[in-house]
Amino acid sequence: MSKAGSRSKRFDFVDVTLRDAHQCLWSTRMTTAMMTPILGAIDRAGYAYINILGGAVFDVCVRYLHENPWERVKLLCERLETPCDALTRGQSLYTFELFPDDIVELNSEVFARLGVEVLTVYDALNDNRNVASSVRSGHAAGMKVNAMMTYTLSPVHTDAYYVARTKELVKLKADFISIKDPTGLLTPERGRTLFPAVVKAAGGVPLKLHSHCQSGLAPEVYEIAIRSGFRYGYTASEPLANGASLPATEDIGARARKLGFRTSLDAAALREIAGYFTCVAEREGKPLGQVARYDPALYEHQIPGGMISNLRSQLQAMSMEHRLPEILEEVPRVREDLGYPIVFSPFAQYVVTQATLNVVQGERYKTIPDEIRKYAMGYYGKLAAQPSAEFLERAAIRPGDLVTERPGEHIEPWIPRLRKALGPSVPDEDLLLAAFYPKPLLEPLRKRAPEYEFRTTPLNELIRFIGSRGDIEFAHVRFAGTEMSFSA
Amino acid sequence: MRKESLTYEDVLRIVELVKTTRFSEFRLKVGEIEVHLRRKNGSGGETHAQAVSQVETAAPSPAGPERSFPAGAVLVRAPMVGTFYRAPAPGAEPFVEIGKHVEPDTTVCIIEVMKLMNSIPAEARGVVAEILLPNGARVEPGDVLLVIKPDPEDG
Repeated sequence: MSKAGSRSKRFDFVDVTLRDAHQCLWSTRMTTAMMTPILGAIDRAGYAYINILGGAVFDVCVRYLHENPWERVKLLCERLETPCDALTRGQSLYTFELFPDDIVELNSEVFARLGVEVLTVYDALNDNRNVASSVRSGHAAGMKVNAMMTYTLSPVHTDAYYVARTKELVKLKADFISIKDPTGLLTPERGRTLFPAVVKAAGGVPLKLHSHCQSGLAPEVYEIAIRSGFRYGYTASEPLANGASLPATEDIGARARKLGFRTSLDAAALREIAGYFTCVAEREGKPLGQVARYDPALYEHQIPGGMISNLRSQLQAMSMEHRLPEILEEVPRVREDLGYPIVFSPFAQYVVTQATLNVVQGERYKTIPDEIRKYAMGYYGKLAAQPSAEFLERAAIRPGDLVTERPGEHIEPWIPRLRKALGPSVPDEDLLLAAFYPKPLLEPLRKRAPEYEFRTTPLNELIRFIGSRGDIEFAHVRFAGTEMSFSA
Repeated sequence: MRKESLTYEDVLRIVELVKTTRFSEFRLKVGEIEVHLRRKNGSGGETHAQAVSQVETAAPSPAGPERSFPAGAVLVRAPMVGTFYRAPAPGAEPFVEIGKHVEPDTTVCIIEVMKLMNSIPAEARGVVAEILLPNGARVEPGDVLLVIKPDPEDG
């Protein structure tokens, strides 16, 4: 037992198994049917919040799983007693384009109506003007708002930079502030200075850490956060943790307790969840998270691994694979020229594509993609640093082209137009889907959802596994009074 | 809670056995649980539907060997591997048609490179003489996209 005085110290958990974990490890392909049988155990596991939605989950639901994302949100909020957390990309919601304030507001209203209790919001440029409309409308709809700052490495992303962003979020009246480290770049050393500084600047607003495991250092980084006064950590069930995902709840829970913090975690429920998802992975042929080894190269180019393999295959197609090292060297230079964007969607794409164009064309900035020009003009928000003079000159961006107003400001409201097109009785959920997607993509969402299973047992999962094997022609299973046979 | 209940650990041990052994018949009896499996004849591992993937015959790249163009013609070339688009959005009016007069900074097409859109300027003052590729064509670096017949120099 821990010593007296630690009685009041708690560390709590936000589950990402149903969201970021499968986004990182299973290409976001976890279906609602894979979630429902284990919701009871997830509720018993002692999580403070359960993150159920993010930009990629929403998009993959529509485009690939042909599930209506609103129905998933509604069902999970209804079934889970633990408060649900849903994440958006602020003014961009689920995409990388900008939406007008009225769409952002309606999205908050729909969340609240479906039962979401915490709206988590971030902006990839850390321009909190892109977060403001979500905080305001989230509060107006009765939700708590968790505002995230995205961590990256650069000469301008100093502790002072994050302290300034924290103060902005306190001023916006965020209920929680999170540090989000999408490519696992945080180190214990940096945490030792950054975390206490941010805790102090937050002035009592509880902090959450959301860090991925690419470098293998995340569990140590979580320890520093716990010691520094962070209140919550985002974690995943063990089979869906580590690798490109977040740390395991089991691991961080044990570390927190060792540091003298109380948690509400229920080991038996966590074991059940882990066992269940391992069975699902076996049945569906999905990978399990592997602990990543420390790789110093990650800190140099910062490019997510998936992106490098993608780039390599594109270069192969052009018989230019041998230029990859040059491109990787050009990446940090382009990033500097562009004012240090975070090497994450969508800016990772910008930096890598521009570096590739620069190398392949043999002349820097001969071609500049339109999105990069818009970004550099401030169309998506304020840049972390000024783009270089060379870039601005090649892009022919003059001071008068720069956008200084809040990005949401230059977009006219959409709802009047959409209501007119879709009719006055269109449900808000459908109106939003029509704002995000062209009609043909929404057609498949009309199909009826399957009958979901809301309970399961290990025996049940064994049978489902056997049933999924194409090579088994006969099976007989007997267990405690249950007996069943099946043949193909 | 029953002590003798089957656990996920038990299930995963069975899963491992099914995956890693090349049995044709499998019988397991541990305490209360009994599993009996029989594999299809001759199938020692994964069986998948024999979906013979038909290799799609990609539209032949219209680039081919470099053809010749009239002397003085300005060739607008693809900067990179990508996709050629004649209009700013599906269903929108094309940027240019044959016969249209363009300025050096007139956008004549878009090349999508790694999901980013690159507006390609005419880089010459003149008239669009030829558009060599259909909308949506895949292009290689250096492929000629359009031909511009430059205006005669003023005096």
